[in-house]
Amino acid sequence: MYKVLKATFITIWSLFVLFPIMWAITTSFKPESAVVNGATFIPFLEFQPSLIGWKAILPGPDSITNLITPTLNSFIVTAGATAISLIFGSLAAYGLSRFTYGWKNYSNADIIFFFVSQRIMPPVVLAIPFFLLLKELKLLDTHLGLILVLTSGLMPIVVWLMVDFFNALPREIDEMAMLEGCNPIQAFFRTILPLSKPGLTVAGMFCVIFGWNDVFFALTLTATKVLTLPVAVIALNGTVTPYWILAASTVFSIIPLVGLAFVIERFLSRGNLGGAVR
Amino acid sequence: MAKITLSNIGHSYNKDKDQSTWALKPLDMVWESGKTYALLGPSGCGKTTILNTISGLVTPYQGRLLFDDQDVTDIPTAQRNIAQVFQFPTIYRSMSVYENLSFPLVCRGWKAEKIKARVHEIAEILDITDKLGRSAVKLGADEKQLISLGRGLVRDDVSALLMDEPLTVIDPQSKFELRKKIKAINKINNLTVIYVTHDQYEAMTFADELLVMSFGEVIQRGTPEQLFEKPNSKYVGNFIGSPAMNFLPVEAKSNEIYFGSTKLKTGSANAQTQGKAMEVGIRPEYISLATGAGENVIEAELLGHDDLGSVRVLKCVSGGFPISVKIPRSQGLPAGKSLLLKLPAEKTWLYQDGHLA
Repeated sequence: MYKVLKATFITIWSLFVLFPIMWAITTSFKPESAVVNGATFIPFLEFQPSLIGWKAILPGPDSITNLITPTLNSFIVTAGATAISLIFGSLAAYGLSRFTYGWKNYSNADIIFFFVSQRIMPPVVLAIPFFLLLKELKLLDTHLGLILVLTSGLMPIVVWLMVDFFNALPREIDEMAMLEGCNPIQAFFRTILPLSKPGLTVAGMFCVIFGWNDVFFALTLTATKVLTLPVAVIALNGTVTPYWILAASTVFSIIPLVGLAFVIERFLSRGNLGGAVR
Repeated sequence: MAKITLSNIGHSYNKDKDQSTWALKPLDMVWESGKTYALLGPSGCGKTTILNTISGLVTPYQGRLLFDDQDVTDIPTAQRNIAQVFQFPTIYRSMSVYENLSFPLVCRGWKAEKIKARVHEIAEILDITDKLGRSAVKLGADEKQLISLGRGLVRDDVSALLMDEPLTVIDPQSKFELRKKIKAINKINNLTVIYVTHDQYEAMTFADELLVMSFGEVIQRGTPEQLFEKPNSKYVGNFIGSPAMNFLPVEAKSNEIYFGSTKLKTGSANAQTQGKAMEVGIRPEYISLATGAGENVIEAELLGHDDLGSVRVLKCVSGGFPISVKIPRSQGLPAGKSLLLKLPAEKTWLYQDGHLA
């Protein structure tokens, strides 16, 4: 009885979660007629699949917009911000995990909270300061400008996750490395980092997801020369909403993340996390 | 190898001004090059703090540390060239056994062929040559500890080898083997070794000198024999030896010592005896069963005995105070409950307020 209930619940929940995605996928293959005349679900039975939505977003004769360049932009911005956040975030986290910093009554815990508090602030508060800052630095509408702004939001996540991860690694490992002749930086790169792949993977995944999906800063700080994928997708909306094109572009823009999720899931389940705990 | 000098070294983890709370109370000590020392004491008595101070993992709150004549107090751990083995095996999980053993040499920028030769030499001594290619994570606890030890030994120029209860996690059978290996290695390399343990047998089998510690202070320093024969305090008498030393409260009357109504002679020169709690201490090993009254013979009642293989420990009580007596098994158990115990004067020491008079 309990099992049946559980299975029922899981089924309903899965449908609830997957339904929008399934709907987006089917809609992306619908012609206009199948969208505007009431809801249809089953291809070939209720509607004839068509590639009109996909043709509109990919290069070709029927293209109304080209999503390849925004994809590249998104890729550059996400990869850049993730790399910077991981490198400097994990270094900061290692320092906060292993050494004591302080000024008056403030100590490591306060510094960590300071990092995390960057995420408490609503991004809209930062829009104007960032705009003025980037304008001053001549970085408006550039890859680097957006990378730096995103990094300021992603680094706290990395620091926060990695401090906990490093705290869980036995301190004796880096003490031993220092006894054997490493300075703290060498100890980190040679002994701690190789053990930190699972933590870095998780932190990196968060960075990629947040970076890839960022609309707000991309919309306010870049838009013309550096058009990112989410902004390009939004721009497709017109007075008459072309649902089939929007659905196709949405599906198109989540493909890289879904692919990444599969890769990472395999990587994590290979027991890499298992070795992370003493 | 280096002579290690602790000059007024003291440490407080929370930087408390009150010295009585310090993890390590100010201490002056010299450790000679090439000798093996054991730090002995209960958990939390400051043994590990001393080790970490020497290796630089802890910077002492006060005092200076010298290797030979060089002041190393402010020199970072990496440059002190100390080998340390921790209580729990510490291995680099991402590396193979070979990589683990070669790591300290790689850090020092040795040439590849030289590293290979040295690693194989150490692996030979530790008898792990066949495991060099394996991943270090997959080994058992005792093998991991061997590798930790090997990493300490692979450098041929270490200032000292510090071992912090290295055999705690090892099962008893491997313990014996490992102990033998450690001893052999100490002999070969003529290292300055500081060995922390709370196991007195381990300490006594390893060390040239023992240091008994309590609450951040060194209570007594000496050879195993000195500590056993003439402990300088009740604490050491209780800590070293199994069963512990017997202590009997005594009274002084006109420069003579009485236990109840029996006059006792002791090996201690009679000291000032006014207003102090006085006790005599004697090892259970030195008490013998007497057949008739005589000098230093007291009456006791036998309560029971523990059988320890070749010896028996008789549990007695005299004047309401417990006394343990160790007799060889061949002697047989005494008939009857009433015993006469002979306390040889030259093995009986007088203690005042817990300290040797």
